[in-house]
Amino acid sequence: MSTEPIVEAVDVARTYAMQRAAVEALKGVTLRVMPGDFVAIMGPSGSGKSTLLHLLGAVDTPTRGAVRLTGIDVASLDDRERTRLRLLRVGLVFQRFHLLPMLTARENVELPMAEAGVARGEREGRALKLLERVGLGHRVDHRPGRLSGGEHQRVAIARALANQPRLIVADEPTGELDSRTSESILDLFRDLNGEGATIVVATHDAHLAEGATSRRQIEDGLLV
Amino acid sequence: MILRYASRELLAHPLRTLLAIGGVAVASAMLLDMLMLGGGLSTSFSELLTVRGYELRVSPRGTLPLDTDVTLRNAEALVSELRARDEVAGVAPVLAANALLETDDEPVRVFALGVDPDEQGVYTIREGAAPRAAGQLLVGAEAAEELGLEVGASAHLTAGGGLRVGRGIGERFEVVGIADFVYASTGERSVAMDLDALARLAGRDGQISFAMLRVPPGQDPEAAAASLSVVFPDVEIASAAELVEKAQRRLSYFRQLALILGTVSLVVTALLVGTIMAVSINDRYRTIAVLRAIGISRRSVLVTLAAEGLLLVTLAALTGLILGAFIARYLESILADFPGLPEAIRFFVFQPRQTLQAFLALLAAGAVAVAIPAWRAAGLPIARTLHEEEM
Repeated sequence: MSTEPIVEAVDVARTYAMQRAAVEALKGVTLRVMPGDFVAIMGPSGSGKSTLLHLLGAVDTPTRGAVRLTGIDVASLDDRERTRLRLLRVGLVFQRFHLLPMLTARENVELPMAEAGVARGEREGRALKLLERVGLGHRVDHRPGRLSGGEHQRVAIARALANQPRLIVADEPTGELDSRTSESILDLFRDLNGEGATIVVATHDAHLAEGATSRRQIEDGLLV
Repeated sequence: MILRYASRELLAHPLRTLLAIGGVAVASAMLLDMLMLGGGLSTSFSELLTVRGYELRVSPRGTLPLDTDVTLRNAEALVSELRARDEVAGVAPVLAANALLETDDEPVRVFALGVDPDEQGVYTIREGAAPRAAGQLLVGAEAAEELGLEVGASAHLTAGGGLRVGRGIGERFEVVGIADFVYASTGERSVAMDLDALARLAGRDGQISFAMLRVPPGQDPEAAAASLSVVFPDVEIASAAELVEKAQRRLSYFRQLALILGTVSLVVTALLVGTIMAVSINDRYRTIAVLRAIGISRRSVLVTLAAEGLLLVTLAALTGLILGAFIARYLESILADFPGLPEAIRFFVFQPRQTLQAFLALLAAGAVAVAIPAWRAAGLPIARTLHEEEM
């Protein structure tokens, strides 16, 4: 196994300007995520979990410190390069799924592949396989409005896997799901991790965190 | 994928989309009608002037044909000299006079034209023959129908300054043909007869109102008009294009009206599309932030939103162009009675090039309108938007 971390945050801080006041969401966090890790970041609301995940997923850049994703300093990239990095190396999963309601499950999964320039035939086949992988082979042509919460999240996970990313970043992936559905999503993450996927999850869910190989607690913008 | 997404986004909000299409369609219809009105009159007038193959007009100095009652004197010599010129392939002299036509009923006022039947550009015979001798009369189709005149019927006609009314007054004519008069205005009863016959009847021997000239094939009418004007300085010789230009000057308010209302319709289109797209995009800030977060480029977001706006404008513009064609037809029927203009003149003339220009102008207005909200959305701060939307 490689000794290079997939993603590494070194003393990162992130400050937001909120209505004339500066809010320091992260105050100096250092974290290394190695290939094959399944890291759970736990902490109360407002502790900085989502901010840390946004930084690890190259959605945002730190105001201090550095985030290196697959060895690349995220802050050194311009918007276009950072977007491309997210597209090809990161799979994002959100608490509220955020599927495009007017596209079918398969089209939602195809979207990142289309952006990456994958040919239509190939991306259709790959989307089908991914949906089968998350247990939705029978729902490929359904739009999100006709899917349950758990199925939404499965499609979102399939979308996150579309471009075979090096890192999956999931922000409260079970936050909107009942315990039974949460369990199935946890199983899915475990399976993906077992197949070699590197996963970072922010969660309130102790059960989900127990499924991770590593757990870190964040409070008031600092890892404790 | 982009077009699929854009079309489904529009279909996802059918009422909003329909209202937007309706609004832009009305503005598009107005734009098309204004473009048709702006150029239609001159196009139609130009076509009408040359419909019978006569490209030049000769009229008394300082006038347009049939503009006044002033006539050209020594017409026979003028026509002969014109026919002798290399720039001229044919001359059709025309004398016009108001006349009274009496059948079995009350006498009615008619517009009489004296022509050379071998060189004439003012009518097309429907039935019968051209008047070739004194006592022969060609009657306009509308007048014939109104007065119950058929080929072979007889009527009395009087013309000139002292029009007298009374049974049996004037010369007796036999109707030898029924025709469509090219330059007749709506409701005008037209008749034609031999040039000399009308000249005698109206007391205008040796006079014509105007002449129509044909130039030889391949000859430039403008150059011919210029050359002939030098040789015949006492008369007005104008090409169809010059006449159209003069007519346009008189009717310039049509063009100004068309320009102003056309501009207004483009502004309305831009405002409507801009408003609809701004509302639609504001509703989707979270979705757009998610798209950006999962790696969809700023450019792709822009292109997708622009495609949505342009698809909306395209649908609306196509609807509007059809609507505009119907409205133009209706307005045309109202303006058909415009006084003093030939009935064949069309105010609204469909021209593919102008329609394409209207369509492109609408697309451009739509593109400008959608650009601002789309640009703002594509550049939104991803993390902050996601964070705010989750809260």
